Amino acid sequence: MPAPANSRLPVSLRLALRELRGARRGFGIFLGCLALGVMAIAGIGSFAGALTDGLAREGRAILGGDAGFTLIQREASPQEQALMAAGGKVGQVAFLRAMARTGDGDATLVELKAVDATYPMVGEVETTPAAPLADLLAERDGAFGALADETLMSRLSLKVGDRLTVGEAKFEIRALLVAEPDRLSAGVGFGPRLLVSAQALPATRLIQPGSLVRWSYRVLLNDPSADALEAYTKSVREGAPEAGFEVRTRDAASPQLERNVRRISQYLTLVGLTALLVGGVGVANAVASHLATKRTVIATLKALGATRATIFGTYLSEVAILAAIGIAIGLALGAALPFVAAYAIESLIPFPLAPHVDGLALAMAALYGALVTLAFTLWPLARAQEAPVSTLFRDALGQERRQPPWLYAGLCALAMVALATLAVLTAEDKRAALIFIGAAAGVFGLLRLVAMGIMALAARLPRPRNTMARLALANIHRPGALTPTVVLSLGLGLSLLTAIALIDRSLTQEISGSLAEKAPSFFFVDVPSADAEAFAGFIAARAPGATYRAVPMLRGRILALNDVPAEQVKPSADAAWVLQSDRGISTAAEVPEGSKVVEGTWWAPDETEPLVSFDKKLAQGLGLKLGDQVTVGVLGRAITARISNLREIKWERLGINFVMVFSPATFAGAPHTLLATLTYPDGADAAREIPLLREMARAYPAITTIRVKEALEQANKMVGDLAFGIRIASLVTLLTSVLVLAGALAAGHQHRVYDAVILKTLGATRGRLILAYGLEYTGLGLVTALFAIAAGALAAYGVVTRVMEIGFAFAPGAAAGAMGLALVFTLGFGLLGTWRALSEKPVRVLRHL
Amino acid sequence: MDTHSSAAPAIRLTDVDLSLGSGAARVHVLKSVSLAIGAGETVGLVGPSGSGKSTLLMVMAGLEKVDGGEVRVAGEVLTGLGEDALARFRGAHVGIVFQSFHLIPTMTALENVAIPLELAGRGDAFARAAAELEAVGLGGRLSHYPSQLSGGEQQRVAVARALAPHPSILVADEPTGNLDEGTGRQIMDLLFAAHLARGTTLVLVTHDPSLAARCGRTVRLRSGRIEADSAITQVTA
Repeated sequence: MPAPANSRLPVSLRLALRELRGARRGFGIFLGCLALGVMAIAGIGSFAGALTDGLAREGRAILGGDAGFTLIQREASPQEQALMAAGGKVGQVAFLRAMARTGDGDATLVELKAVDATYPMVGEVETTPAAPLADLLAERDGAFGALADETLMSRLSLKVGDRLTVGEAKFEIRALLVAEPDRLSAGVGFGPRLLVSAQALPATRLIQPGSLVRWSYRVLLNDPSADALEAYTKSVREGAPEAGFEVRTRDAASPQLERNVRRISQYLTLVGLTALLVGGVGVANAVASHLATKRTVIATLKALGATRATIFGTYLSEVAILAAIGIAIGLALGAALPFVAAYAIESLIPFPLAPHVDGLALAMAALYGALVTLAFTLWPLARAQEAPVSTLFRDALGQERRQPPWLYAGLCALAMVALATLAVLTAEDKRAALIFIGAAAGVFGLLRLVAMGIMALAARLPRPRNTMARLALANIHRPGALTPTVVLSLGLGLSLLTAIALIDRSLTQEISGSLAEKAPSFFFVDVPSADAEAFAGFIAARAPGATYRAVPMLRGRILALNDVPAEQVKPSADAAWVLQSDRGISTAAEVPEGSKVVEGTWWAPDETEPLVSFDKKLAQGLGLKLGDQVTVGVLGRAITARISNLREIKWERLGINFVMVFSPATFAGAPHTLLATLTYPDGADAAREIPLLREMARAYPAITTIRVKEALEQANKMVGDLAFGIRIASLVTLLTSVLVLAGALAAGHQHRVYDAVILKTLGATRGRLILAYGLEYTGLGLVTALFAIAAGALAAYGVVTRVMEIGFAFAPGAAAGAMGLALVFTLGFGLLGTWRALSEKPVRVLRHL
Repeated sequence: MDTHSSAAPAIRLTDVDLSLGSGAARVHVLKSVSLAIGAGETVGLVGPSGSGKSTLLMVMAGLEKVDGGEVRVAGEVLTGLGEDALARFRGAHVGIVFQSFHLIPTMTALENVAIPLELAGRGDAFARAAAELEAVGLGGRLSHYPSQLSGGEQQRVAVARALAPHPSILVADEPTGNLDEGTGRQIMDLLFAAHLARGTTLVLVTHDPSLAARCGRTVRLRSGRIEADSAITQVTA
């Protein structure tokens, strides 16, 4: 007799392969739980990878060249222009915010983009109707050409051929702007886009010294090699060290966006990990119930001479093979996600996608899947190997339950620690990852305690007189009751869902409620300092009773901290943004409103030394303390000031506030504009804001007016988009919860059939049995939902008040939704299973008893 | 029909005590049981339900640890051995046949018989397993799963599995309890034939007086004690 092909494998593996033949049934839940969690993590990772790669692939188009140099408030000097032009062809684009007005007095804020004849050096501008850009933007009949995007067209009810005014220049809308290749590099704007020619810009008369204009120079290198690019940017940096250029290259065209993609994908990964952890419960249940059916087989193997190690090895191999299948399914689905997205919804995603099989993302997801499998199955596997052989003998008495060696508990703990370490090590925001792990462990522990509490309570409650109620109560606490599984699986999913719903609710509430109430109605940008008094008078006459505040404002970039160039400073993750681009800076003789000096002292009004007051948290993040030197580049000059005090700032009020406020002497004589706010005592009101906006646009065309309500709506939409992504990811968790629940109920099915048959034999009708089971499931569902709402609300409260530092808002709708879902799932699945149990013919089951 | 071996006993129990369960449910199952079974003997353990005969069989097979006394099987003292050492001991020296067959449902007849040989690390496990199945008349059923076999065939697979490692001791717990009379007789023929051909010590638990009568020696248990032992009766007679 020839040996089978696999006879060279270790005996455990051989036995495992044979055992798998019978594993087709009952492992659907196991595979489903693992596949869903791994799919979520792999999908999120792959999608983020496709996005980052898409951004990298399109880097040149996004940047508009191989390298980009941006200056604020001033154009490059002839020397600087010559320095840039030494490497290749240079194109210039100016960005500024401005008010666009129609003939009938309608006005809105626009993001104005003025391009020279070289634009676009990379990619194509798409317009409707299509025509050469030079023709579309040329001056004709006393008006320059302009392209407006869809939002601007609809906001001002424009059509092609209509005219509008920006500053003092007249423009004719020649086409609808459908796409600009470099749109992403500009970041998020407050207003819609209006594209004009560089020649038109002077005619607007908006460019005054100190105006908030960003001048962007894009360079198409003669030698596009990577080495040449590096040498070129170095030569420009070193050739103009004080220029204050924000330098970008095609390989990091939108670093902020890439960072955000990375961050968001990491938060979503944590949500995916929750799905996997919930799935772990399902995996553990599936393995435990599979092993319970294998007790006789295990005992037989032991009777035939198998050691515990062989048993453990056999079933660990079986679980490993199944886990590999589940993980592979999850990886395949996750890897397909960016391809499907690219195919189906690319036009809806405002980013370039470069879908590819992202090995690292898939490996991470597989590792998470493997660790979760180990963490959740080692203990049931260790217990299975202790199955006593005496079960094989008919009159074996009192089999005591043997505990496996503690080594296995140690291995289990090791797998959990590895899981936590992996989550923290791969997270950009390690604190958030740690909080997540703490919360997940806490909720796991709590749910276990809640389940034990429910069972203990049910055991101690007085027995109801009604038989069915008594049966329901007994089912909740009897040995092998469904309580721990239902509470754990459903509780975890619902807690997460509630937490996310409440965080979302609090954020929306903050933005549209508290913020909108506290925030000013208008921001006025670029109020010329010469017009300061006249403008204040204009506002006072039209908004009596409202508070008008104005402060000097300049734009500047941090060039160095304590003489260390900004590029070499290693800031904390939450302070890095301060160094990444230009910041608004201000001067003040007194402590600005909305902030409090917490370290050091404010300067005297007649202070002559350049001093700066820094935001305390950010100073900590940048490693700064009192007395340190901060060098900023303002209007092409490098100015160094000493930190004389640190402030705490209430950013959430959306008032005027600056990270850096300098002593008035620091920028004495420098041209600047004012930033002003107008706050009505009784909050925002469109009825008086819109007429004021129109009047403003007519009287002061050069002053940019931002209606805060509109900006907040924009922010709200962004939060909404993000919340949608998180909800989708958390739905995977809920789906896993439901799978686990269904699995647990299915595992209890045999027991139910037995109970039902005995009770039917003894005279119970189906109606009465359904009543008993319905009572049990309703009780379990309600208690679990109550706990989930409490735990979710607590977690949301922590995140909202401690991490986001905003007010907490409870949403009764979300709570009711969680409660409803819990009942639908427990009752629905429970009774579905029960119905099947009730349809069993007693005689068939009794024959086998 | 049977002959006593003159060599050292294959199984020697001395003052064996065993209680099972805990608290109020604790039952004293074996009470100072002493018994010696010679190599090559055939012994039938009989007695009413709950008398401790299956437990005594488990003690002999190294499946149950005793609370007191000494258990020596195939020259080895089992009392001090750990669980895994006992498993290895069984694999080498003891073949077990159960009333409910306990075949592994996911494995074919051949694989079921090969398991103890595989566990012992035998390279020729499948060849020997096939030969054993041939010997019990199932040469044509090698790749059948237990669910595709009749009760009698399943028990024959179980006998082949118990005999495959050539154990010196074969224990059987009611081996015909789940079979009809004719099939049961065939199974017993197989067990006794193996005993004759290989000199295996055979100990079986049975309620069937005719089966017990086929054994060279009958040991009757009652309430955890040996009530009668035909060997002692013979000696004293």
